[in-house]
Amino acid sequence: MLVQYTIIGILFLGALAFGAFTIILSRLLQPHRPYPEKLETYECGIKTQGTAWVQFKTSYFLYALVFLVFDIETIFLYPWAVKFQSLGLFAIIEMFIFLIILIIGFWYAWKEGALEWR
Amino acid sequence: MGVNLTLITPELVVTGLAFVVMIISLLVPKDQKKGLAYLSVFGLITTLVILYLMIDVQGTLFNGMYVVDAFGSFLKMLVVLSSLMAIIMGVQYVEKFITGFVGEFCFLVLFATLGMMTLVSAGDFITLYVALELMTISFIILVGFGKRIFRATEAAIKYLLLSAFSSGVLLYGLTLVYGAAKTTNIDGIMEYIAQGETPPVLLLGIVFLISGFGFKVSAVPFHMWTPDVYEGAPTPVTALLSVASKGAAFGVFMRVFLKALPGNVELWMPVIIAITVLTILLGNFVAIPQKNIKRLLAFSGVAQAGYMLLGLVAFSTVGVSAALFYALMYVFCNMGAFGVVIAFSQAGGSDEIQDYNGLWKRSPFLAAVMLVSLLSLAGIPPLVGFVGKFQLFKAIMEQGYVWLVFVALGMSMVSVYYYLLVAKAMYLKDPKENTPIKVPMGMQITLLATMIITLFLGIYPTPLTNLATQVAKTFF
Repeated sequence: MLVQYTIIGILFLGALAFGAFTIILSRLLQPHRPYPEKLETYECGIKTQGTAWVQFKTSYFLYALVFLVFDIETIFLYPWAVKFQSLGLFAIIEMFIFLIILIIGFWYAWKEGALEWR
Repeated sequence: MGVNLTLITPELVVTGLAFVVMIISLLVPKDQKKGLAYLSVFGLITTLVILYLMIDVQGTLFNGMYVVDAFGSFLKMLVVLSSLMAIIMGVQYVEKFITGFVGEFCFLVLFATLGMMTLVSAGDFITLYVALELMTISFIILVGFGKRIFRATEAAIKYLLLSAFSSGVLLYGLTLVYGAAKTTNIDGIMEYIAQGETPPVLLLGIVFLISGFGFKVSAVPFHMWTPDVYEGAPTPVTALLSVASKGAAFGVFMRVFLKALPGNVELWMPVIIAITVLTILLGNFVAIPQKNIKRLLAFSGVAQAGYMLLGLVAFSTVGVSAALFYALMYVFCNMGAFGVVIAFSQAGGSDEIQDYNGLWKRSPFLAAVMLVSLLSLAGIPPLVGFVGKFQLFKAIMEQGYVWLVFVALGMSMVSVYYYLLVAKAMYLKDPKENTPIKVPMGMQITLLATMIITLFLGIYPTPLTNLATQVAKTFF
């Protein structure tokens, strides 16, 4: 038993050593010549404005979630649509159950005002 | 397509119920959603009856991805029972503090219930993970949905981050076990391990699995989220989280370790024993200085998780049956205690223990329920907690862990101290105000039921013991 746990211990040490090794090695090998432009924050090549710690609307997040609902729906519908004829009635029923579940979720999001920009 | 859907009738009922509740909640105005709670309660009672009738049914679905057996049905009953009580006790609380969200409360509890029911029946790592996520995501929303309640948002963020982290660890473990056994099926893994030789990668997987499940049952090195989340969440959600999610996670823990990995028990048992001892020690000692009743119950819950793990340590039919008995008895005791906390905070009190001063003058009933629940959790003889602990200790004694019995017994003594601190506040100190507390009808019935069951099973535990023993035969 101890032998086996020792192997795991060695693995953890190895993982730790690998991380430390790469960081230290790159620090040793890199040329260190900083100048103001190089130290500046990169923002798509334009001059930076303000800090990165800005508040943004959580509505974006809601939109992303609602988008995800349709995204998943599409991903699931594609293979089904391709194999539609050979899968038969059972798959149609299954797909409709899936769609109903998704639509209820979407209905909820709509009703609760996730699609209104406030 | 020979799928025998009658095997999953309870799950289908809960799924249907959750969607019906969700649709109705979309249709009726915000202030008229109380009926949804009645509907959910009615549906859950139906599910409970179906589950009770199905306790002997056995079978697998979807090529072994879903297993229906007595063990699963027992834990499903536990989960449904806790959700039932949480909804009955929570409706008024939600109406008062999180007005307009009764519908959400009901259907999210139902979805969480569905997740937990699927979790204890998982016969495959894929089912296990999906069920676990359904449960966890519903709980994250439930923890945070009372955003006007002080600290609910903080609790939700903490719970979100830590459960994402623990899911990651668990998933890593599942992947490693899959990598070694080349199958995700629990029976398949058992067959693989029976062949002999354990590669190190499998052991690594097992270590990750222990950590992942440890998070869910709040065993000690992984318990940090418990007190903060319990304190911040709306109290009915805390109650549900403390009994049902712990019970379900514990069930799947047992299923994976007793069904899939019994072949190398000598490898993982030392780790489980270490975790158990730490959980019992830390849970009980840290509970002592707590000033907030929800934090106290959180740490007591950590300690109770340690006692339940003793059933896994015993690694025998007696041990499993004792652990199942304990898990079910824990539902009644903890629900009783949390019910009192809910009723008290509805009446305007805070969760600080010093506010419970002189509770028996304001409401003798609440004080009595709290006292019975706490004493039962501590394991005082005429109550069911004593029987549960006795069976667990007997089970590990049979396996020769005498020192472990002494540790657990000593820590039970310690637990009596902090439980009695609450009792002392309730009975010996004078209240700040004398207004009697009104307890709503549904709450009164539930609390009375938990108290009577706690007393009854303490005096006559045979029916439940027999049931648990019969259920535990699933494993050995």
